[in-house]
Amino acid sequence: MVARIKKLRTGLLALCCLVSLGLGGELALAESAAPSYNYSYWENAVAAPSAYEATTLITGASSGAGPFNNPQDIQVTADKQIYVLDSGNNRFVILDQDYKSVKTVDAFQFMGKAEKFNNPQGIYVTQQKEVYVADTGNKRIVHLDSSFKAVGIIEAPKSELLQANFEFQPVRVAVDKADRIYVMSAGVFDGFMEFGADGVFKSFIGANRVHVDAVEYFWKSISTKAQREQMVMYTPTEFTNLDINDEGFLYATNGDDYGDPIKKLNAQGADILRREGYYKPSGDLLYSTRSGGAPRLVDIDVSDSEIYAVLDASRGRVFTYNGDGYLLYIFGGIGNRLGEFNTPVAIEHSGDDILVLDQALGEITVFQTTEYGRTLNSAVRSYYNGDEELASQEFSKVVNLNANMEYAYAGIGKAYLRQGEYKESAEYFERSMDRTNYSKAFLLYRKEVLREHFSTIMTGLIVLLALWLGLRMYRKMKARKKVELH
Amino acid sequence: MNREALQHPLYVMVHPFNGYWDLKYERSQKTSLIISFGILFMLILTNVLGDQYSGFLVNMNNPRYLNSLLEAVYVLVPVLFWCVANWSLTTLMDGEGKFVEIFITTCFALLPIVLINFPWIWISNFISAQESSFYYFFKNFAILWSGLLLYVGIMTVHQFSPSKTIGTILLTLLAMAFMAFLTLLFFSLIQQMIAFVSTIYQEIVLRR
Repeated sequence: MVARIKKLRTGLLALCCLVSLGLGGELALAESAAPSYNYSYWENAVAAPSAYEATTLITGASSGAGPFNNPQDIQVTADKQIYVLDSGNNRFVILDQDYKSVKTVDAFQFMGKAEKFNNPQGIYVTQQKEVYVADTGNKRIVHLDSSFKAVGIIEAPKSELLQANFEFQPVRVAVDKADRIYVMSAGVFDGFMEFGADGVFKSFIGANRVHVDAVEYFWKSISTKAQREQMVMYTPTEFTNLDINDEGFLYATNGDDYGDPIKKLNAQGADILRREGYYKPSGDLLYSTRSGGAPRLVDIDVSDSEIYAVLDASRGRVFTYNGDGYLLYIFGGIGNRLGEFNTPVAIEHSGDDILVLDQALGEITVFQTTEYGRTLNSAVRSYYNGDEELASQEFSKVVNLNANMEYAYAGIGKAYLRQGEYKESAEYFERSMDRTNYSKAFLLYRKEVLREHFSTIMTGLIVLLALWLGLRMYRKMKARKKVELH
Repeated sequence: MNREALQHPLYVMVHPFNGYWDLKYERSQKTSLIISFGILFMLILTNVLGDQYSGFLVNMNNPRYLNSLLEAVYVLVPVLFWCVANWSLTTLMDGEGKFVEIFITTCFALLPIVLINFPWIWISNFISAQESSFYYFFKNFAILWSGLLLYVGIMTVHQFSPSKTIGTILLTLLAMAFMAFLTLLFFSLIQQMIAFVSTIYQEIVLRR
């Protein structure tokens, strides 16, 4: 009896072991990660020092313009003036460097008539401080000059490209140096609407691709036309926001779950975003359905040196990437503390600071760099500008502050490569998991070593060959002697 | 075990038809069995060492999730599944092989993978990205060679015709898939049962 129980127990134990084999290794989800984190090469969330910290909270009341009501967009000029589009109050407010209101615009003159905004959703300020407002409620784009007089209004365009029942609902607007106007219009799936400087509609650019999975494709291919009309129509995903950089490239975010949620469009509308990083830029990699599922990117902001930041509305986080697509740092979150948001809608940079607009609370949170953030930014900038020496120094500082920053090791490795220190270079590239550059450095190192030891290696080989030949001859001679003896 | 017995696996590698014939009819089964286990062990060792020490350029493993026990399972389970599936099938298809013979044949066929991959663990540390195609070439070459040996081995051990061997191998793969499915189903059910019992236990214990 006892023996039987013992046997049973061993059996059960073995079974448990087998079952638990499949249970090993659990991934730390980003939600439970440290307050500031980054994603490693292996796509795990690892702790990182915070690069940005919230310092100031700007509200309508604190700025002196009266409370903001449902603000939708902000824009910062080169001289750090902040244009806040206060949609609920049908106005925009200009704040100066000290976050104090200097001007409020809620009406303008056009063709001798006083006009007002109606629920505007998007604002863009050019370098000449001309203001473009996507006046959504009035279905038009308003173009004001730097003294806030209307110089042009773009109404619903007429074109063969547009359907008869097309409704023009501009929600976001951006203008490049040549005054071409790019408009994101609600319910338009064909991409951004491009208008010339004269306000004439030209074409659509940069439509997202439709994603159809194999199963759907199969059912569609065997169904009749009548059935197909009953099915869900597949339309490309809409963009959620856009920004334009100094060179005139459009940066856009979309709600695409399958494709690339971040795009950089050239004049033809082709996506030219570099995705050389450990994984493609797309916000959080690890997430659960409990916290809202996949990241919902709602705004993008491009600053100098091709660094860009995207805002994820579902978790309130800001993800900053460099031009190659490496994730630099993450900050923000949903919550009630300073530096956390309720419903973030827009992100802008003001010098090195980052501003995030919260729609429901009517607040702007100002984030300023910590030493870590400053060093990293400066490293990325000097690398972008081709100053590898300085970049390497800054990257060394970065890895002193955050040894988990794999990307930084490549920066150091590149400087070593240039100096001809191939061995060190290869070591740093290995730490950075940069296989292509590691291979380059390693080849040079191998060549160096082989050249140095060429004579030794060859001598060794020849000696070995001679020994082997000698041994063979000796054996043959011995065998012959034996034969002779017999 | 004499020297000749130890050299026989190498003879099988290059002369599969004669080698497998000798293995079936001439050699001591006990010695062959010991050698078979040796080959399996070396294969596990090669895989473990390979995952750990292969050159950076060809090693895509996350060192944090390397598990030598699982490596052993990845070698042993497919081999056992293959042998069981093949044996079950060939008993129905007039194969002459016994289970032990099938096992020995399979293990001997795996030798090229060991002999080719083992040196490459070290060589791969001295190659560049362009030269890594050699690494992958040799890996694939080893698998092809093993596949060929397995084919000849199964043919010899069951005394099948070439075409019948191909059919048997395909059916064996199908049977392996079946077995994998059944095993997963079994373990999943057991897991559910354990979960059920533990839930009831918690209900009873925590009830107030």
